[in-house]
Amino acid sequence: MADFDLELDARGLNCPLPILRAKKSIQQLGAGQVLRIVATDPGSVKDFEAFCKQTGNELLASTQQGGEYRFDIRKPA
Amino acid sequence: MTRRLKASERKATILAVAKVLFADKGYHGVSVDEIARRLGVSPAILYRHFPSKEALYEAVLNDIACRRESYVEAVVASEGGFEDVLRRITRIFIDSVAADPDYLRMEMQSALEGSEATRQFFENRWRPFTDLIEYHLAGHARNGGAVVDGRVASLLFQGMIREALYAKCILKSPRYRDMPVAELADRLIDLFLRAIGPAG
Repeated sequence: MADFDLELDARGLNCPLPILRAKKSIQQLGAGQVLRIVATDPGSVKDFEAFCKQTGNELLASTQQGGEYRFDIRKPA
Repeated sequence: MTRRLKASERKATILAVAKVLFADKGYHGVSVDEIARRLGVSPAILYRHFPSKEALYEAVLNDIACRRESYVEAVVASEGGFEDVLRRITRIFIDSVAADPDYLRMEMQSALEGSEATRQFFENRWRPFTDLIEYHLAGHARNGGAVVDGRVASLLFQGMIREALYAKCILKSPRYRDMPVAELADRLIDLFLRAIGPAG
């Protein structure tokens, strides 16, 4: 079973597009559900930290592998 | 007695002075000796912090890159629509560049010097705008809307905002004296949105 409810492919997109698309995707989620974002913009690491801080969403994980960045974000209950 | 500067303070001072000189004269117009003279130190001290002029120039660019504007707050505060996000991130960019016109001068100089690495660096600074516009217009066309060439539209946008910054911050054009740069940008965005028509 996947440990996320919705996946957003933000590869090839640069700030502010991954954030903008994540914001829209989270609106589709229910409380407590998790959005996974896959991005390639190195700036997205700082951006998603700031995004979660400012929106109250929880950054469960932020990992990097082979030039791709993965973020798991939980919508608060 | 002059206080000896800490290494980090010395480095920051070198970067600040080098930025002004590179902005005024371009990479090729400035020598390490001149930067050292302006700082009141020997070239040897400068080389202790930066092994070459090229390394110093890169450090100046990196310093600018580290202060990359954050558009996160603008996106969070927006209602998520194209026009709203475009206006908000443009305002952040304009405020940041207007506060440091040396950055604009460096961009102008680098355009003339033709170094690929610096051209790429400055092009990346426009990416948030060009990508946002191209992505939005492509989505609009995919959904059956009017087809507008995103590459051309983003060049139109970049040209008008950059020209507004030049007119206000570098040339200090009397023609636009009565108009703050943010207002000028806002009115240009109005025209831009009309130009791309219903796709906006």
